[in-house]
Amino acid sequence: MYRTAARRLLGAGFTTSRLLRLPKPRPTTTIIPYSYCTSSMESPIGNQSVNPNQSDPTAAREEGHRRDESRKPRAEFQEEQARVLAASLRHVPRLGWTEEAMIAGSREVGVSPSIVGSFSRKEAALVEYFMDECLQLLIDRVDSGLDLQNLIPSERVSKLVRIRLEMQIPYMSKWPQALSIQAHPVNVPTSFKQRAMLVDEIWHTVGDGASDLDWYVKRTVLGGVYSATEIYMLTDDSPAEYRDTWAFLDDRVKDAFDLKKSIQEAKYFAQDIGAGVGKSFQGLMNGVMQTMSTRGGRSSAF
Amino acid sequence: MTFSSLERPPLRRAELGTNFTEAMALRSISRRFGSRVLSYRSSSVASLHSHATSFGFQQVKEEEKSKLVGNVFTNVASSYDIMNDVMSGGLHRLWKERLVGKLSPFAGMKHLDVAGGTGDVAFRIFDAVNSVKRRALRKVDEDSLEETQIYVCDINPNMLNVGKQRAAERGLGDNKALVWVEGDAEALSFDDNSMDGYTIAFGIRNVTHIEKALAEAYRVLKRGGRFLCLELSHVDIPVFKDVYDLYSFKVIPNLGELIAGDRESYQYLVESVRRFPPQEKFATMIADAGFEKVEYENLVGGVVAIHSAIKL
Repeated sequence: MYRTAARRLLGAGFTTSRLLRLPKPRPTTTIIPYSYCTSSMESPIGNQSVNPNQSDPTAAREEGHRRDESRKPRAEFQEEQARVLAASLRHVPRLGWTEEAMIAGSREVGVSPSIVGSFSRKEAALVEYFMDECLQLLIDRVDSGLDLQNLIPSERVSKLVRIRLEMQIPYMSKWPQALSIQAHPVNVPTSFKQRAMLVDEIWHTVGDGASDLDWYVKRTVLGGVYSATEIYMLTDDSPAEYRDTWAFLDDRVKDAFDLKKSIQEAKYFAQDIGAGVGKSFQGLMNGVMQTMSTRGGRSSAF
Repeated sequence: MTFSSLERPPLRRAELGTNFTEAMALRSISRRFGSRVLSYRSSSVASLHSHATSFGFQQVKEEEKSKLVGNVFTNVASSYDIMNDVMSGGLHRLWKERLVGKLSPFAGMKHLDVAGGTGDVAFRIFDAVNSVKRRALRKVDEDSLEETQIYVCDINPNMLNVGKQRAAERGLGDNKALVWVEGDAEALSFDDNSMDGYTIAFGIRNVTHIEKALAEAYRVLKRGGRFLCLELSHVDIPVFKDVYDLYSFKVIPNLGELIAGDRESYQYLVESVRRFPPQEKFATMIADAGFEKVEYENLVGGVVAIHSAIKL
């Protein structure tokens, strides 16, 4: 989410290889490390805050380059890791999200399989890399001209979620394993963050005009819809490439939007009632005050 | 506290030249005066040279050290395992388990364990690989059906013999996976880029030139290969440090005298732990040898540290 916003603000001068913390009016301010970037990216561990008003993208880039020079050794390892994980993905449908897949991947790249021993939380590393990759692909799809103009918001959401879930189709046979890896307590913080980023990205693309409480509600609801669809997809045998799943998705998204409408309606309703009740209460209080003041002034009130 | 069976005790007096007697005199004086100032002064010269020319708080000629170190183990191989257990309260086993866990051995691996005479680490790696292999039997790639090879390298043939004996007791006497090689950590006889993993447990303190050993490790490892070093290290935690010092300098030498009949060895051992570079410095040395992603993990508050790195 920070990436697309940054791109919009800084235009062409912005390179996606740095993770910048932008002063956005958002409640959450976590920096999410893109530890598993593709090999074209460099080490993302930069905590520089960029003031959009200063808008000097070349300066930011130069500083970033200087930082990267000193981080070259670290970056090399990240690159190697990314390369190994990318190669391992090809073995996942056969070997699952396991060390064996990563060992096979490392052999393909020409690196000793020992390197797998140094990945933190090994299988989780592979799954998290895949999740980051998919998010990046989604962003790229959106940026390279995905047509969302003619669709109403609920249809846009459906389309984006569908695009994202379709990326998982090649791994569908082993996806339950990936889900269980993500649900492991050690891995939950990262997988939660990745899903939060995904959901935020989708809302951003759809056109987010949210105020404070609404921001949370939207992300939570979409997170629920996404997870439900993902799980539904696991057991979907429908003939034409998961037709049932997409129908399920459309229904859930419509429900969510209806829910949003109903919440709005309930809010207005409550306001109206509150107004009515309040008015009569206020009328009562006014009467009381008047009575007290006239009694004090010895004038006879009604 | 644990001291590996590979710790070299000091030399028999008859074998040493004047250096030893000087140093011994210096040490006895310093002990009498209750201060280590004198012995530090003699070692201040050594601080200009490579650390490894020290032998505890003594000074010995560089050329002599590896010869002496080689001689020493001949006499004491048998009592080391017992002393290890007694000094560390059995903890050394857990530390070696942790080391092997970090390594994550895999089937088809070529591994080198240096200064691993009695085979502690090698046996653990062997067990790990075999159980992994059995579990993943169905998923083993055709390519990785090459055999695992674990080379155990040690400068002292007697230690290797003890190791071979232990292998025979486990029924691995004829197993092709374990290969016992005599060699020096500073001049390994293996080819460049031939090893997936390199471990050295409680041995690097004994090499004459640590930088050379690290350079050799870098040479023999393949690209992506891992370097892991388990070694006694420095404690910084305030109160615990004092307890540890007390234990080291008061209890250990007495245990050595009681159980192995060799107080000098363990006095030397305790002193050499203090002379070894601290965790950060050693990590820098590893990075200087060319390794990437150098990390270390303190166990028991720094009594033992596992340094790990990757060759890229």
